[in-house]
Amino acid sequence: MTEPILEARGLTKFFPTKRGTVRAVDAIDFQMAPGDTLGLVGESGSGKTTTAQCVVGIYAPTTGDILFHGQSIGATAAKRGKDLKREIRIVFQDPGSSLNPKRTIKQILATPLAVHRMASGREQLARIGALLERVELPPAEYLYKHPQSIGGGEKQMVAIARALATDPSFVVLDEPTSALDVSVQAKIINLLLGLQKEMGLTYLFITHDMSLMRNVASRVAIMYLGKLSEIANTADFFQTPLHPYTKMLLSSIPVVSDEEESLKPAKGISRGEIPSPVNIPPGCSFHSRCPSRLDVCDKIDPGTVEVAPGHVVRCHLYPSQREASA
Amino acid sequence: MPNSLSLLEIRDLHVGFRIFEGHLRVLTGVTLAVHEGERVGLVGETGCGKTTTVKSVLRVLPIPPARVTGGEILYRGRDILRMHRHALHVLRREELTAIFQDPLQSLNPVFTVGSQLRDIVRDSMRTPEGKSLSRREIEARCIQALEETGMPDPERIMSNYPIQLSGGMRQRVCIAEALSTTARLLLADEPTTNLDVTIQDQILRKLDRLVDQKGSSVLMITHSMGVVRDLTQRIYIMYAGSIVETGPTRQLLASPKHPYTQGLMASVPRLTGRGVSEGIPGRIPNYLAPPSGCRFHPRCPHRMPECSVEVPPMFDVGADQRAACYLYRRSPS
Repeated sequence: MTEPILEARGLTKFFPTKRGTVRAVDAIDFQMAPGDTLGLVGESGSGKTTTAQCVVGIYAPTTGDILFHGQSIGATAAKRGKDLKREIRIVFQDPGSSLNPKRTIKQILATPLAVHRMASGREQLARIGALLERVELPPAEYLYKHPQSIGGGEKQMVAIARALATDPSFVVLDEPTSALDVSVQAKIINLLLGLQKEMGLTYLFITHDMSLMRNVASRVAIMYLGKLSEIANTADFFQTPLHPYTKMLLSSIPVVSDEEESLKPAKGISRGEIPSPVNIPPGCSFHSRCPSRLDVCDKIDPGTVEVAPGHVVRCHLYPSQREASA
Repeated sequence: MPNSLSLLEIRDLHVGFRIFEGHLRVLTGVTLAVHEGERVGLVGETGCGKTTTVKSVLRVLPIPPARVTGGEILYRGRDILRMHRHALHVLRREELTAIFQDPLQSLNPVFTVGSQLRDIVRDSMRTPEGKSLSRREIEARCIQALEETGMPDPERIMSNYPIQLSGGMRQRVCIAEALSTTARLLLADEPTTNLDVTIQDQILRKLDRLVDQKGSSVLMITHSMGVVRDLTQRIYIMYAGSIVETGPTRQLLASPKHPYTQGLMASVPRLTGRGVSEGIPGRIPNYLAPPSGCRFHPRCPHRMPECSVEVPPMFDVGADQRAACYLYRRSPS
C-alpha cells in the first residue's frame, strides 16, 4: 500500500455527560490512501460525524491519534497550524445553516482566501469567479446573491466551492446530499467525482445511504456504536458482506429494480434499535440485535480479523485466522 | 376503472396560495384515485405539491392563504370540499387517518402517549351495539395497538411522554394511533423519511402487515422510489403541481415513460454501482410565474415547440400506464 494520507490509530472520543460517558467513537483504526474515497456508513448515533469532527479538528481525541502524511494531528483546530487547516476541509450536511445568511456568496468565498492570505483585491475576485465556475455556477449570476435566494443544491455547491477555496488535498463530506432531492443529489455527486479526479482529492464521505456509497466510495467502513464493524473495498464489500450488521443494513435498503433486489443478501429480519451510546451492551455491542449471535457474544468483545486482503471484520463468527495468527 | 370502486377520487384539483408577492398556483389539475383495499403511492420531489394534496384531502390547509380554485375530492362519492363541518368531523374521526413525517409535531408533548392514544380510541371506536367502550376495553385496545406495531413493553410506553421515546418509537406510536381506529383510508405522508434504514424496514413491514389485516386503503406520499416499490401497487408521479405519469408501480419503475420520471429514475443511486446520471438540469419552477404549457418543458431534453403552448393531456403508454407528454401523442388514447 502506498503511504496513507490519513490514518486513525485507536481514535477514541468520549463525552462525559450527567447520565454517564457517551462513547461516541471507541478505538477505531483506518487508513486512507491518496485519491481514495472512504465511505463511512452508519445509523444515527453511530459516531460517524464525531469521527469526521475529530479529523477536521473540531474535537481533540480522548485517546488515540490521527496521522496526516505520517504526522500526528490529534489536536483541536485552535492548536493546528494554518497550513494543516488549508489541507483538510469539510462540507457540512445542511448548507442552509452552514452558510452565513447575511453575506453574499462573494463574501462567503472570500473569507477562506483572506484568512489564508491566498489572494486579495482583483486577484481574489478572479479566484472566486474560478471557484464558482468549478462548481458549475455562472459567477455573473451568483456572485452577489445571498444564500436564501438560491436553491438547496446550489447552496451545497457554494459550500463545496468554499471548501475547495484553499486548494485542499483532503475533504471531509459529512452527508453532503442527504438533505437534497435525488435529481439534485445526482448533480452534486457527479460534480464531486469530477473534482476529485481533477484536483486529486481524497474524500472521507459520511453517509447513511448504502446505494450511494456503492457508486462513490472506493472503500466502505461500517460503523456501529462508535466501533467499526467492517471495512472493505467497495466491490468486495457489496459482493461478500460478512458482518451480520452489514447484512442487516444491506437487506433493509429499499431498491428500485429486480436486478438490485437480487444483489441484496437474503432478507434478514432487522430488529431492535441502536442502543444508547451511554449504555452500550457488554461484549459485542451488536449482540442484542444480531440474528446469528453465539454464546460468547454478550461476554467478550470481538477483535478485528482480516478475513481477506483489505477486508477487515469485527465479529466472533470469523475467528479462525485470528487464532491462527495469535 | 369503474367509479363505484373508488374510495377516494380527486378530480382536477386546483389549489393556490395568495401571498404578498402574488398568487402561487401550486396544484394545477391533480387527478388521482384510490380504490377500495388498494395501496397507492404519490411520488415527487420537494415542493411538487404532494403534501398540499394530502392536506387538501384532510381539509387542513390554512384558508387563507390557501384557496381551492377548482376541482373536487370525492370520498365514497361525497365531495369533501363541500362537506359541512360536522360531517367532516365524523369523516375524519371514522374514515380517514393520517401519519405524518415528523412524529414530534403530530404528538402532543405535554400529554403521555397513553392519554393521547386513549382519546383517539374513545372517540373513534364503538362496541357492536354502538355504545362507547368501557375504560378497561379502551386500555386493552390501546395496549394491543402498541403491541401490533412491535413496541416492546407497551404498558410502560403508555405512561411515557413523546420526548422520552426515540424517533422510531414515536413513529410507532403514530402508526398505532392511526391504525387503532376503524379508518378505511390511511394517508401516510413520508412516514419513514427521518428514520434509519433498519428502523424504516421494520416499520414499513409492520405497516404492511397491519394494513393487510385491516384491509384499509393507503395513499402513501414519499420521495423514495424504493419505499413505494415495496409498499404500493400503483403510483402517481407528481411534478410541479400536477400528475405527470401513472401506472402499476413495478412496471412504471422498470420502464418510466415521461422524461421527468426517466430523469428521476436515472438519478437514483443503484446497488449495481454503475454510477449516477447527471441528474435533471435546472430546478422546480417558481409557482408565482410557472412556465406555460407543460411545466417540465424548460428542463426537458425532448422539448418540442408545442410543449410550451399547451398542457399535454394523459396519453396511454403501456398497460394501465399513462404519461402526460406529447412524445406519446400517436398512441391511441
